[in-house]
Amino acid sequence: MKLLYGTVLSLLLSAPASWADTEITYQFWGSPQEVEAWNAVARSFEAEHPGIKVNVEASDWDSYWEKLKVKMAGGTPPDVFAMDAPLYKDWQSRGVLLNLQPYIDKEKGILDGVYPITLKAYETPEGYFGLPRDFQTIVLHYNKDMFDAAGVAYPTDSWTWDDLRATAAKLTLDKNGDGKTDQWGFWAEAYDMEPLWGALVWAFGGDVVDPPAGKTLISSPEATAAFQFLSDMWLTDKSLPTQLQLQQYGTDGFYAGIAAMGVSGHWTVPDYSPLAFKWDIAPMPKGPAGRATSVNSAGFVIAKGSKHPDEAWAFAKYAFGEKGQTELAKIGLAIPVRQAIAEGPAYLQQTTKIDHSLFVKALDYAKPKPVFKGYEEWSSAVGDALTMIWSGEMEVADGLAEAVANGDDVLARNK
Amino acid sequence: MGSLRPMGSERWWVLAFLLPTLAGLLLASFGSILATLALSFTDWDLLTSPVSAGLSNYADLPSDRLFMKALWNTLAFAALYVPMTVVLSMLIAMGLNRPIAGIGWFRVMFFLPAVCSPTATGLLWQWIYAPDSGVLNAGLSLVGADSVNWLGPRMALYSVVIVNVWGAIGSGMIIFLAGLQAIPKEFYEVTRLDGATAWQRLRFVTLPALAPSIFFQSVLTTINAFQAFDYIFVLTRSGNGNSTMPTLVFSIYRNGFRFFRMGDAAAQAIVLTAMILLLTLIYFRIEKKWGEQ
Repeated sequence: MKLLYGTVLSLLLSAPASWADTEITYQFWGSPQEVEAWNAVARSFEAEHPGIKVNVEASDWDSYWEKLKVKMAGGTPPDVFAMDAPLYKDWQSRGVLLNLQPYIDKEKGILDGVYPITLKAYETPEGYFGLPRDFQTIVLHYNKDMFDAAGVAYPTDSWTWDDLRATAAKLTLDKNGDGKTDQWGFWAEAYDMEPLWGALVWAFGGDVVDPPAGKTLISSPEATAAFQFLSDMWLTDKSLPTQLQLQQYGTDGFYAGIAAMGVSGHWTVPDYSPLAFKWDIAPMPKGPAGRATSVNSAGFVIAKGSKHPDEAWAFAKYAFGEKGQTELAKIGLAIPVRQAIAEGPAYLQQTTKIDHSLFVKALDYAKPKPVFKGYEEWSSAVGDALTMIWSGEMEVADGLAEAVANGDDVLARNK
Repeated sequence: MGSLRPMGSERWWVLAFLLPTLAGLLLASFGSILATLALSFTDWDLLTSPVSAGLSNYADLPSDRLFMKALWNTLAFAALYVPMTVVLSMLIAMGLNRPIAGIGWFRVMFFLPAVCSPTATGLLWQWIYAPDSGVLNAGLSLVGADSVNWLGPRMALYSVVIVNVWGAIGSGMIIFLAGLQAIPKEFYEVTRLDGATAWQRLRFVTLPALAPSIFFQSVLTTINAFQAFDYIFVLTRSGNGNSTMPTLVFSIYRNGFRFFRMGDAAAQAIVLTAMILLLTLIYFRIEKKWGEQ
């Protein structure tokens, strides 16, 4: 009986949440598991903020941006939505984001303890129009079963890119003896700079892009050496599957279990953790100019056209705060932006038993992924040309010349 | 017998029943074409109001390297796809327009691709073209030949044309079959009595009688060629919504919805429409001339 009364009572008490007078929408890109996690954050936010209801809406990366633009154009933007730092200026410069500075000024110390490198992407002369939600650094992943089977030593933190190349060649095998490679030593997505080639260019002493000067820098001698290195691994050693070879197994060579090593951010951890083979992570190898990786963040922004900016801010603040960040750390998709949480148990003691602190320590040598207006188009213009190097259709120098020409066209258009 | 023409208030009812279709056509099709035309004279990023840009979107097209590449790919695709589709579907229709055993079964086989989802069959073709485990390369290695990178940059155009032709033959064949069966048998009997050869029968009876079908099929195939997307997407997609063989449709989509360049995308769409229109006009001219002969 007591139990029944308790249930009725709690139902009555929780009822007002469903009669909420203000509804806001939070939209982001992500998987069904992420929706679940965000729903949990939304429910605990609602419990602390009676009268506000949060609708969580997700779509996949490609349709997310399209939907967002159509909603904006139609005058019905979501109140709070997720932003990828490199694309932030594309939106911020067009005046569709709410300036959060007045809210931030009212909250003493809200930015304390947040990794400065993640905040930097959202700074503008007029203040912040967004706040980081979580971030990613790239580390090396390796398939322990494949290393063990070949009797090859695991990657260490003193590895150079040459060590990786030599090991990748050793682990590229034709296991069933049909004359065709069925295990590759290495795989990486080489379209956008984030997973691999940005870090490689930096490790070889080059740089990627200088948006204010309108210059794509990847044809410098240092950067060319980095691309030549990768092209040699791909086309001479053949220790990476070509795009067409990969298509036979899926879209992620490491996940498909056909590549002994891969590079990726923390976002693949939930996907990789149930895999049948044993795997671990190591820091990115060193290049002639030292060790480098990229750091990129996803953030929250609020639409200028939101009808409930105060409620939207309340939700963003909650998810950006310690409680929200703690819950998000548990999803295991990304690294929390608050140092206390990234160095605490919620992040470090996730169910997947790898050394999660490696991702955080990578900040010591990480460079931020560039943030500028036109990033997506620039990335595509460059990526399309690079694809022709990886497929062997173009020499490295010619491919880079085309990438720079196409990239600079985009930079000029977005000045 | 009463007239079939609507009388009195019936007229209003006819109009009322036609209205949904007419309104849809007017607003959705005609309206969006006009809107696209208007947008092509503006710079619009979807997020802020369109700004008048005069003719600059059109003037900038020749210096847009990625657009020119897409234009070239589209023209090369159409130049191969249109004649192959028209000729092959006509030949197959002629082959299947005779009383042989199992004719219905053959017709169904050739028509089947037309009713299958291009995404699903596109994936099947991906397996046929796959570099190591693909059917084609397995066949090549059986006869000791080197395997071919079917969807690689050098072969992609031809491989993609083959799949698109395969997918289009079914509906083309139906049009030609209908055209063939409308030719009176007497024509053939008369020419046979006159001692005409098979070639002469084809040249002087079948082809002239099929002229309207050939014309119709050419127009339709040309339109489809310039709008081809699904097979190309499934077979050649690369990063960020692009393809290793991007056609104008890819360029329009990416500029409009990914790169904040709706004005440029609209101009490209208008160029695409103008090309289709121009080719259709040329077909009309040719048909008129042919008809006069």
